[in-house]
Amino acid sequence: MNILLLLILVPIVAGVLVLLSRKTIPHTRESATMLIALVNLIAVIALFGQDLPYSHSWGPFKAFSLDLRYYSFSSFILIAAAGFTLLVTIYSWRFMQDRAHRSQYYGYMLLSLGFTNGAVLADNLILLLFFWEGLLGTLFGMIAIGRPGAWKTAMKAFIIVGVTDLCLMLGIILTGTMAHTFKMSEISLPVQGLGITAMLLMCVGATAKAGAMPFHSWIPDAAVDAPLPFMAFMPASLEKLLGIYLLTRITLNLYKLSPDSWVSPALMTFGCITILAAVMMALVQKDFKRLLSYHAVSQVGYMILGVGTALPIGIIGGVFHMVNHAMYKSCLFLTAGSVEKQTGTTDLAKLGGIGRLMPITFTCFIIAAMAISGVPPLNGFWSKEFVYDAALSHHVIFYLAAVLGSFFTAASFLKLGHAAFLGKRDPANDNVKEAPVSMLAPMILIAAGCILFGLWNALPLNHLVGPSTGLAAEAQEHAGFHLPSLLLATLTCVALLGALANHIIGARANGGGLHAADHIQYAPVLGSIYKKAQTDGADPYNFATRVAGYFCTAGWACDKAVDWVYDGFTVWLTRTLSFAVRASHTGSYALYVLWALVGAAAVVIYLTRIMP
Amino acid sequence: MLPLFVLVPLALLMIVNLPVGQFLRRWSWGLTLLLTIAQAAALICFAPHLKAGGFLATLIPLTLELDNLSCVMLLAIAIVVGASLLVARGTVSGMKQLSNFASLVLIAMAGMNALALLRDLFSLWLFFEVVGVASFVLIAFRRDRGALEGAFTYIILSGVATVLMLGGLAILMLVGRGESSPLTFANVQAALQISGGLTAARLGIGMFLCGLLIKGGLVPFHGWLPGAYSAANAPASVLLAGIVTKATGVYGLMRVVSSVIPPTPGVNAVVLFAGAAAVVIGALGALYQSEMKRLFAYSSISQVGYILLGLGCGGPLGMLGATLHLFNHAIFKSLLFVNAAAVEQRVGTTDMTRLGGLGSKMPWTNVTSLIATLSTAGVPPLSGFWSKLIIVVALWQGAHYGYAVVAILFSLVTLGYLLLMQRKVFFGEMPAELANTREASPSVVISAVVLAGITFGMGVLFPLLLKTFLLPVKSIFPLQ
Amino acid sequence: MLDTVLVILLTALLAIGALLTAMTSRLLRAAIMLAVTSAVLTAIMFRLNAPLAAVFELSVCAGLVPAIFISAIGLTRRLDPEGLKARFKDRIKRYWFLPVILVAVAAGLSQIHFVTDFIVSAPDSAGETVQTVFWNTRPLDLLGQVAALLAAAFAVVVLLKETTND
Repeated sequence: MNILLLLILVPIVAGVLVLLSRKTIPHTRESATMLIALVNLIAVIALFGQDLPYSHSWGPFKAFSLDLRYYSFSSFILIAAAGFTLLVTIYSWRFMQDRAHRSQYYGYMLLSLGFTNGAVLADNLILLLFFWEGLLGTLFGMIAIGRPGAWKTAMKAFIIVGVTDLCLMLGIILTGTMAHTFKMSEISLPVQGLGITAMLLMCVGATAKAGAMPFHSWIPDAAVDAPLPFMAFMPASLEKLLGIYLLTRITLNLYKLSPDSWVSPALMTFGCITILAAVMMALVQKDFKRLLSYHAVSQVGYMILGVGTALPIGIIGGVFHMVNHAMYKSCLFLTAGSVEKQTGTTDLAKLGGIGRLMPITFTCFIIAAMAISGVPPLNGFWSKEFVYDAALSHHVIFYLAAVLGSFFTAASFLKLGHAAFLGKRDPANDNVKEAPVSMLAPMILIAAGCILFGLWNALPLNHLVGPSTGLAAEAQEHAGFHLPSLLLATLTCVALLGALANHIIGARANGGGLHAADHIQYAPVLGSIYKKAQTDGADPYNFATRVAGYFCTAGWACDKAVDWVYDGFTVWLTRTLSFAVRASHTGSYALYVLWALVGAAAVVIYLTRIMP
Repeated sequence: MLPLFVLVPLALLMIVNLPVGQFLRRWSWGLTLLLTIAQAAALICFAPHLKAGGFLATLIPLTLELDNLSCVMLLAIAIVVGASLLVARGTVSGMKQLSNFASLVLIAMAGMNALALLRDLFSLWLFFEVVGVASFVLIAFRRDRGALEGAFTYIILSGVATVLMLGGLAILMLVGRGESSPLTFANVQAALQISGGLTAARLGIGMFLCGLLIKGGLVPFHGWLPGAYSAANAPASVLLAGIVTKATGVYGLMRVVSSVIPPTPGVNAVVLFAGAAAVVIGALGALYQSEMKRLFAYSSISQVGYILLGLGCGGPLGMLGATLHLFNHAIFKSLLFVNAAAVEQRVGTTDMTRLGGLGSKMPWTNVTSLIATLSTAGVPPLSGFWSKLIIVVALWQGAHYGYAVVAILFSLVTLGYLLLMQRKVFFGEMPAELANTREASPSVVISAVVLAGITFGMGVLFPLLLKTFLLPVKSIFPLQ
Repeated sequence: MLDTVLVILLTALLAIGALLTAMTSRLLRAAIMLAVTSAVLTAIMFRLNAPLAAVFELSVCAGLVPAIFISAIGLTRRLDPEGLKARFKDRIKRYWFLPVILVAVAAGLSQIHFVTDFIVSAPDSAGETVQTVFWNTRPLDLLGQVAALLAAAFAVVVLLKETTND
């Protein structure tokens, strides 16, 4: 059997088996999942550098043929996905140890891996959609097995992602119709006319998968409700990888997006809004996981901004940022998991001062937080610089928005670190110990990866990002410590220092790290906006559900009316008529003769008089 | 060979009633049943050879003809008469009564066979009377008040039909003047083609049609039908509902409309309207009916309406649908009445308010009744589905959209009232006094199973039968 | 002129006779009225130049059938005067619409402008006797009549003869 098919089928079959398994032998599911994740990682690394097409058609159904392609871009995503899956699996071993639904958890994990492999390998849009929808199913399942009541959040995620998947489906149908094929490597359409609609619809699907605004609102809820490794696994890494992968494929391959088209600034605006709105929300969160989850949304904005510029450097930056983000954000979620596991809470008000008790976790957190804030020379710094450069060449306003986002990112992480790990320790946390090794190892590995990709950025740029986007030359140009613009880097550093200053002033003024951002939260104009945003009204999902509620009420009324027509009116009518018919049959033959005579007269008169 | 279809039943009747003691009369039931089997077998195996005249034709110069529609009718007659006889075995008590019943059935059978074969309007009327007289007696066979009333109503309305038909015949005879035998189908048709536009000719046609509509029990000429069907004893109601009204009224209409009257939109409109009215009124009458046989009687009116809808389309496809539904209806309506007979035999009533839960006690009756129900309602793949489908398609092709919608809609109502019947009688809770009910006697069960088998087989093998057996039926229609 | 008056007179007589037959509450009177009606019909048939049919009508319908009826009525029992009155009233109640129908039919017929082009003289069948008609051209109908008679015989057997247990 083809190796590509095996990459898809083995995790899926194993996932189904794990789902069906009973807990007989301890650790079988965990070790099986880990083994498959490991084998998967080895396989994709071993295949690296090759270009393997595979095609199998189902007779006359050309549109649905099984087209797979392993090439530079997909190999890059596959390796990243495989790596994160393995690390999260290792991490989950101890984290999930005492929790219920482990069969489902690991089963969904393997299924997700299989579907992700399928979606990335798919060279047919319909096939892609199939795996994409499969991921929707595992997403729902993994959220639903969280704490009691999580199904509500699962439902929310399912509806939001489901609706955007519908957009993707529409876009795919339009694209396939216009291109007369569904084979991705053969599609190359201009951005004009109906193509714009199709492309935007597909972009909605892709960015929503990545978690951009306004399709983000399930992520903060899921952060609270779902098992924590899920956050590191799906919203932080796999979904970002997939979403940005597809967005890049759309703008780079399927459609020839040019920087001059109005679609490009539109995407960029979309990215900027996502960056700013989400980071502002992150700034005021009082919960470790929720704060992180808003950043998971905010960072997508940078990727969309980068890819949306349609400039080589922007695309390189966006894709590079994607992999960087997957690294530091999963690392951050893993540290949050460690904290939750050891202290039993992620409420920042109850945390504080545990940095000394969990030094390794704290160190990993610092590295990841610096990376996400874009502190040189970590990996986040480089990718952000590329995005800034590309944004600036479009318009200064995009650049300013991005830098502002960066400022608030740094501010919120200073607040988070200060509130969680430094400051005064709650006496309840005095006996907290460092997390177990199996949980520390993934964190350390990822944090090391952040440093590695920062110091030796030529490695990812030359071997992963460059080849996969087809911009190897540009990537090579900027590899190493060749900044696009020294001025911009200086400005970035200034912004970061500003954030530090802001934090110190804020912490002094408001008392403690937790309240370091209060002066922003309660600032004259912002205060009222925040107040509004904190209530449910700002959540587009709630708005949509309210509108849907009205539709439901209207539909219910229609339904009742139809019911009445069937159950009330029709029954009444037939009953009345039926009883009338019965009542008219009195048994009197004279009456029957009369009927017959009248009928005969009618027939005769009709035939002789009325018919011409 | 054709005269045998008429002569053999009459001869058998004479023989078994010879005044030589009881010996021959004991055999009358068995011999009659054998005759029906022989007729069915002859039609299935030797239909193409029967048309040949043979020496009998020269000896007895009866003007009979066999075409595909006649074949279908003769087959249906044989099957239903056989079923009726089997039911009679289980439900008519006493050898003498059974013998009398068999004799009357023989007369009716001879009359119906002749109807299927003859080609003369006057003879048509005459054999209506033969079958009619036999039917009066069969309805009144039980001699209780209801039976006599039912028979009397039938006699009265038959009288009206006779007057209308004879009057119509007289006028048609005058229109087609100057022929040596002015009332053969061919001559009447030829005469009408010349003078069909005359008011008088139309008057004649209209009166004759009305007579046929009374015989067929179409709305509003149907007053006699529910009473007659429900009051007659079980085997007689099988015979009446299954074949007598079909062989007289409906077959007569089909024959007259398709091969006597030249194609006129007016006649087709009358037939369509009468059909639709029958479909609607029959179904409505059946819907909240609590007496099983009366329900089937109304259902019969409704189903005959479908046949007329097919006929009124005025095309080969409609004709095919009508013929097919005629045959199917003869089979599954007989089956329903056989089931009613089974219930009546064991419980003593067909009042559905006093029945319930009989399915477990009478499994064969239950299953065959379900098959008949589904077939009547036109549920695939049973035979009723195909014929209704063809009729609806024919209506649609003929641009009679309203009638097509009525046909489909009342097909649902049909399913509704028959399933209600099924639930009230065979499912649901069983009243305590029915706890000792047994399955009906073997002869009744056999007839139910045979009829259900035909309904089921016709449906499942329909694609096979269509080419070999059913499609040629269209050839009787002049407008190819 | 006389001809027309005669036809109208006879038709009216026929209608009256039939009505009285249906309306009377005494069986014997009904049977006699039926005979009278048949006699009038006979006269009409003569008038229409159908002597053969007239003879049949007179002998069978006016003579034989009422005779059978009357003998059968002899076996029945009379109702008391109260019952008779009640039955008569009941009939009036049940048949009040007959005149209505007559009027309606008459109105309907008056709307139909009969074209008289079909009224022709009776076909010339002088050369054929009844026997030849029956035996040579309509043997099937003869057979039918035999069958109808047999059915009637069985009607008598089944419906009128007391069943004996055997």
